[in-house]
Amino acid sequence: MRNTLIIMTLAILGLAGLAFYRDGTPALMRGLFISGRTLIEILPLLAVAFAVAGLVSQVTSTQAVNKWLGQASGFRGILLAAVAGAIVPGGPYIFFPLAATLLVSGARIGTVIAFLTAKNLWTLSRLPMEFALLDARIVIIRYAVTFVFPVLLGLLGNMLFSASTDKLRQSVARMQNQAQAENPGKGNKKCS
Amino acid sequence: MLIAFLVLLAMAGVLFFIARRDGQGGHICGLRKGMGMFIRLAPLLVLAFLLAGFIQVAVPPELIQEWIGTKSGFKGVFIGSIAGSLLAGGPYVSFPVISAINHSGAGTGATVSLITGWAVIGLGQLPFELTIMGPRFMIVRLSTVFATPFIAGLITQYFFG
Repeated sequence: MRNTLIIMTLAILGLAGLAFYRDGTPALMRGLFISGRTLIEILPLLAVAFAVAGLVSQVTSTQAVNKWLGQASGFRGILLAAVAGAIVPGGPYIFFPLAATLLVSGARIGTVIAFLTAKNLWTLSRLPMEFALLDARIVIIRYAVTFVFPVLLGLLGNMLFSASTDKLRQSVARMQNQAQAENPGKGNKKCS
Repeated sequence: MLIAFLVLLAMAGVLFFIARRDGQGGHICGLRKGMGMFIRLAPLLVLAFLLAGFIQVAVPPELIQEWIGTKSGFKGVFIGSIAGSLLAGGPYVSFPVISAINHSGAGTGATVSLITGWAVIGLGQLPFELTIMGPRFMIVRLSTVFATPFIAGLITQYFFG
């Protein structure tokens, strides 16, 4: 987070410098004005979007998804994994460990790829942000165009990499064991 | 804008009642989580909007139009895919930036490539993938998804360009 803030500040200063070099002070004022106006316009949308994000994370749980996907396999597994990917909230520090657990506990490689691609492309908890921050037309086109990718890529993954699933499973399990050794007793924080 | 707001409000309403059914104040808990997220991300959001604003005054629109504008076709989709993959921030940073690029004249195809490239590859998530899943898995996954931003952009260009 702190690194991101520093990098962004530097990028803003760089762009501000460039704007100043091109058009002088008026360009700087225009940049500030555009930023402020967009922020104020979008603020109510953001407030509701964050309420949705918080509520989504409240009504879904990673354990349930894991249990639910454990039994499914083949095409059904891919479909279920894609739906799960769309539903599971949280950033990469949540969905990659979940994907690792899925693979290690017996899911096929295509199932895991479908899960991750759906998480990347369909994420319901990100949808409010997408609508708040981008034009609705773009958001709708983007969802429509990429809609089939998670399932297609899951099938492709099974076609291409089924033979190496065991090796992948072992290497992911090794990573998990390492993480466990470095970070024992890591519990899930729950709101109460 | 108003429609987006109303849709979100409806979603929040439905989720609010689903969360309330647990009888343990899950709805309050969810709202509190959302507010916590908002407050924690507020500095990032302000910077993201500043970044997006200054992109619009610093980078000449003609340049963006020439590179990834409506008429840039194949080239625009290609550049959009690469640029999207290189965007490292989360949605709060990347969406305002992509929106600014879109408003400066990027084509619909290139904009979809930007979003898709950021979503499926996105430099920001790769360190997590590398440390949690390991290099072998990461290569397998990337080899299946790397073409998606490009394909998505081309489909968009063809149907909605």
